[in-house]
Amino acid sequence: MFKSKTSKSALVAALFAASSVAFAGQFDGVGKSIDPKDVASWDISVHFDGDGLPAGKGSVADGEKIYQAQCAMCHGEFGEGARGYPKMLGDKLEDLKKHAKADEDTVSARGINNLWGHAPTLYDYIHRAMPFFAPQSLSVDQAYATTCYVLYLAEVITDDKMVCDAEALKKIKMPAVDNYYTDPRPDVKNTRCMNNCTKDAPVVKGKAVIGDISVGNVKKVGEGSH
Amino acid sequence: MSEEKITMPVSGDEQAVASEARRSFLRKSVAVAGGAVMAGTVAGRAAAEPLAIPPTNKMLGRGVVSVPYGMPSKFEAHVVRRNVEWLTPDTIASISFTPLQDLEGIITPAGLHFERYHGGAVDIDPATHRLVVHGLVDKPMIFTVDDLKRMPQTSGVWFMECPANGAMEWRGVQMDSLQFTHGMISCSEWVGVSLLDLMKAVGVKKDATWFYGEGADGSGLQRSIPLPGAKDQFGKPIPDADKIYKDIIIAYAQNGEALRPENGYPIRIVVPGTEANLSVKHLRRIKFTNKPLVTYQETRHYTDGMPDGRFRQYTLINETNSVVTFPCPDKKLSGKGAYEIRGLAWSGRGKVKAVDVSVDGGKTWKEAKLVDPVLSKCLTRFIFPWEWDGKETLVMSRAMDETGYVQPTLRQLREVRGTNSIYHKNSIQTWKITANGEVKNVQIENL
Repeated sequence: MFKSKTSKSALVAALFAASSVAFAGQFDGVGKSIDPKDVASWDISVHFDGDGLPAGKGSVADGEKIYQAQCAMCHGEFGEGARGYPKMLGDKLEDLKKHAKADEDTVSARGINNLWGHAPTLYDYIHRAMPFFAPQSLSVDQAYATTCYVLYLAEVITDDKMVCDAEALKKIKMPAVDNYYTDPRPDVKNTRCMNNCTKDAPVVKGKAVIGDISVGNVKKVGEGSH
Repeated sequence: MSEEKITMPVSGDEQAVASEARRSFLRKSVAVAGGAVMAGTVAGRAAAEPLAIPPTNKMLGRGVVSVPYGMPSKFEAHVVRRNVEWLTPDTIASISFTPLQDLEGIITPAGLHFERYHGGAVDIDPATHRLVVHGLVDKPMIFTVDDLKRMPQTSGVWFMECPANGAMEWRGVQMDSLQFTHGMISCSEWVGVSLLDLMKAVGVKKDATWFYGEGADGSGLQRSIPLPGAKDQFGKPIPDADKIYKDIIIAYAQNGEALRPENGYPIRIVVPGTEANLSVKHLRRIKFTNKPLVTYQETRHYTDGMPDGRFRQYTLINETNSVVTFPCPDKKLSGKGAYEIRGLAWSGRGKVKAVDVSVDGGKTWKEAKLVDPVLSKCLTRFIFPWEWDGKETLVMSRAMDETGYVQPTLRQLREVRGTNSIYHKNSIQTWKITANGEVKNVQIENL
């Protein structure tokens, strides 16, 4: 689609052409510059390739203590999920694919082992948003330890003596790393038929009931997905 | 419709007066006109009665600023956001739905805008809130909210839609309510600063192909947004990366007033036409990069499960969609006769070009009238005059956008995407009208 050369010049052109005409330097005094080192306390994001992982480390054993105290009540003592919150260990990726191919529900089968593409972003999420009731309460070392234990629960790592740090997380190959591909839509082509659009009588399925499961094997979509 | 509202029970001290007023009004309204929807069905056969003077003609009302911030009439108390309890384990990381069945026009009142939180809505003091813009820039900067308001202002009327709108219906019919089948969409006038102006202010470097926004809420929600040249983690280009960013604003106002806390006060990103998760609320930081984060919101959530077990990623655009908002399961018909079928259509790729309506299960379709204004990436109203013969029938709408894309059927979507996608279900919605005027949510398997 894009050649990077043309797209970069497109970006530059757009910056000068499409933005506000009034903005030609006179607003230079609005806002202040900031030293990148002063942004460090906010800049906690970690990219998929591990870029942004901080110095620090934590072990499976330390993570187990944190997990059992702060995580197990929602994610299950063994990572099986609880009270509607997501499980850590989902079906093996091959099994999830089998269910999908058989048009069986896969939402409730999803877990870290079959859905997370990269261990560093698991650290990112735990560090910024977990435990759910006290986000950003874990230290860097505690977040590494919890990440390490959760990966162990999800059977991504098998060594219970494992210590996780930036280098260790970068080396982990998650089962689902290649299980993603970028949007191919539009992927469905309907036509604007106006007359004689159907040959057969419509086969109608209904009996919807608010808040209930009404059709065969319908699964509650939120279950294990939020 | 109007009859149901008028006779709805209310509570309070003025109950007696109010209900007499309503009974009296009902008698008259039936005799006089009965409102557009009722016009052909009731007006001709109702008996006229001598008009009583409404009690409100014989009393004084409230003075100015007795309600400093005006609220809807108490008779509209049923028009509220609602959630579905079983959908999420708590209400903090959850969603509520806009009552589309009770709204007119294209603007969603801010207080009825659907809510989607990953860590709850927070109250942030704009005086202490800051936006940091850094990364691949010449000059990292920090802005106050007042700084942003001083910069050149831009605005647009755009829909905001969670890509999980309709998610419960992939595998079969579940929700017998327009509010729950389609209520994860709202539409507002958003006012703020163009991303392009912000990019100029900090001097974005030429090798920036992505940026991400991050919220100041408990989820610290962050989401990667493509710029021209953006590629995924495998090196494949992101579709529409040369288009999406041009409309982006950092919004501080919504429908004339400051953003509501539920919608990201004091500032949020608005990425028109795309899944609402990109429009990061409570925005505190923007970082320009040359790669995506591929974080939680880009793998664990907001990826579409396909029938081969793989997941689609960066399905950012919300494609053409439409729904009949009257009649619907929440608004039944009150007898045969003349009605206006009304509805909403929208496309994340631009303007709605046409909407067709079928009242025979999809055999024949006729073009509906689009109601001005018809704006890009914005809710668009359509109306379709209809004479209901009182027999069971199937009503549906089908939108086409300016790219020529025609809204698909559910069968067509399932053939390509199966039933585990969760996200981006934009198929034609069918309502079954029963002989007694009730409206049921159904799916036509072979359309």
